[in-house]
Amino acid sequence: MFLKRLVFLALFFLLVVAPSFAQDVTTITWLTLGWPVEAIIAEFEAQNPDIKIEAEQIGFNDLFAQIQVRLGARSPLPDVIAVDVPLVSGYAFRNWLLPLDPIFTGDEVEDWLPAAVNAGSYEGTLYAAPISTSTQLLFYNKACFDRAGLMPPGADDRLTWEEIAEIAPQMTFDDDGDGTPDVWGFIWEQMVRIYQLQALPESLGGAAIGEDGLTVDSVINSPEWIEAFTYYYNMFNVWNAAPQGEEFWPADIFETGNICMFVGGPWNIPRFANNADLDIEWGVSRHPYFEDGVAATPTGSWHIGVNANSENVEAATRFVHFISTGEGAELWWREGSGDFPAQQSVLALFATEEEFDELPMSYMRTAADEATVNPRPRAVTVGFLEYEQILQNIFQDIRNGAHVEESLNLAVQRIESEMAKYRE
Amino acid sequence: MRGKQQIIPYLFLLPALILLIVFNLLPTIATAVESMFVISLRSGDRVFAGFANYNRIFNDPIFWKSLQVTVVFSLIVNPFQITLALGLAMLINQKLPGIGIFRSIYLLPVAVSLNVTAIVWRLMLDKNTGMINGILFQLGIERQPFLHSTDLALWSIIMIASWIGVPLWSLFILAGLQNIPEPVLEAAKIDGANSWQSFTRITLPLLRRVLAFVLVADTVANFLLFAPILLTTQGGPQLSTNLILYETYRRGFLYGDLGASAAMLSVMLIIVFLIVGLELYVLRGDD
Repeated sequence: MFLKRLVFLALFFLLVVAPSFAQDVTTITWLTLGWPVEAIIAEFEAQNPDIKIEAEQIGFNDLFAQIQVRLGARSPLPDVIAVDVPLVSGYAFRNWLLPLDPIFTGDEVEDWLPAAVNAGSYEGTLYAAPISTSTQLLFYNKACFDRAGLMPPGADDRLTWEEIAEIAPQMTFDDDGDGTPDVWGFIWEQMVRIYQLQALPESLGGAAIGEDGLTVDSVINSPEWIEAFTYYYNMFNVWNAAPQGEEFWPADIFETGNICMFVGGPWNIPRFANNADLDIEWGVSRHPYFEDGVAATPTGSWHIGVNANSENVEAATRFVHFISTGEGAELWWREGSGDFPAQQSVLALFATEEEFDELPMSYMRTAADEATVNPRPRAVTVGFLEYEQILQNIFQDIRNGAHVEESLNLAVQRIESEMAKYRE
Repeated sequence: MRGKQQIIPYLFLLPALILLIVFNLLPTIATAVESMFVISLRSGDRVFAGFANYNRIFNDPIFWKSLQVTVVFSLIVNPFQITLALGLAMLINQKLPGIGIFRSIYLLPVAVSLNVTAIVWRLMLDKNTGMINGILFQLGIERQPFLHSTDLALWSIIMIASWIGVPLWSLFILAGLQNIPEPVLEAAKIDGANSWQSFTRITLPLLRRVLAFVLVADTVANFLLFAPILLTTQGGPQLSTNLILYETYRRGFLYGDLGASAAMLSVMLIIVFLIVGLELYVLRGDD
């Protein structure tokens, strides 16, 4: 009898009492990349006990298709999404994102880098709040320079692409004689992505897209693009200083000493600095440029937006506000993305924090300064997804030996074909 | 009682029929309907557009290029796989020493999922680190960009598809071979028929039904080949492996252009129906 009562009481608690407690907690879903999200979620939930965050973490390549399918179907989930900034205009154009102007004060908006605010806005309305920004540096392994009898550049030096072309083959070594180098001279961190590669034609004076944000003919097959991507082709196919084949993450190979130089983001600085097992002496210098051109440094930011069809708008906007401003933004910078902060108040910490006084973390100050030197964001176009994916395929083809001019003309044909729907 | 007996076979068919309707017929109808609509990019509203999506894809050079690649691929891969599958089935049907071991091994590719197969082949075919190129180098042959050359990529896909396809289809053909009555073959032998005559006059005609099934199923399977493309070449290089189903996926799931994607899929289904109809007509029998 006692047992029966106990079971009844347990069931009553589980079915009636417990849900009445649970009803006070709103759960929101955050579709994001594989960043360390635990600290920011824990802090937010501690300050907002009525909200629970569920992070859906997926790979970079899958994020865009997921957003495309789920928001395109007007699904109420995910409530919050990580937005790669060039896609803001496309998402806003489709009314997938909630306008965010009402949730931020004037001071909060002014604290963000102006370029990041512009990039997160469409037709004058803010649709995605900036949570990080980026720049690029040249990372190098000093042992490779020693082995080739060359002097490594200083942190404030800026090599030309012509100099890279000269020294990279000298730092490419086939030690075991199997016909494939074991140590490669150079690679781009995002070897087939427009984010990094756009700086090549832009250094020569080329543009990323036509003025209407849709036209690519005579832009991405212009003489500047052909010259820039002939250089890129040569690096992989003629000078054989960079590896062809599958896309991979160069920082991993750099750590093993099998890549001598790569152009990459400042997120690699804490990675290498905090790697106690790292057995190489490394350094950085500024982003390269073409001798007859100008310095052009890639930049781009990650933003965060609220699904316009979310059923938890209040909770979602509260989280977006937390992570993109004040202490939440600082926490995200310290223990989250590892990227550059988009808030000027957090960026200022680079100058004051002791952590950045000494090498190698002082390279972060070089990066902070580099971010101000002719930063070149990606093309602003409602069709960025198509533009980026098609160019990614084309760059991969060129990297693996496809004819440069033919490939760029094919890219024009494909992108123009996709952009047609936005012209109608 | 008689009426009840007539219903029983249909009841046995019902589960399969329901699955066919839910997973094949209804999506096909939904795709055909979807191809008649466009989704407003701004509002997300579905608007009836008649044949506008078809008009758009028929004026799109990328669609025609994909169709051309698909046709070339099908014209090569289907005869290639079926010929090899027939040869393999004939071999396995022989009573040779050690054939039992070979019978156990040759089916292993079928036991591994297509996705895993594609990934493993992608790694093996890599120009710098792949095993195949390592062997070529040891033999003094230059490393080949199997998946990155416009000349080699489609052939590599054909090879990956056939790695599974050939043993799979040979299994069906083997079943057909084992159904050929032994006395018929012996009678032919007694009448003086040589092996070639026995194969062309007896084996092939008696395999006609099985071959018709294999040809139809193989054609459909290869027309719908998707995973190896996604996992190896993603349609490249320079669209040389951009089979129509991959282009359909790209339009619908990557670019969100569901109308064009559904129109492409509908066109592809019509083509498959026509080809399968033609194949069945050519291989029709009197029995």
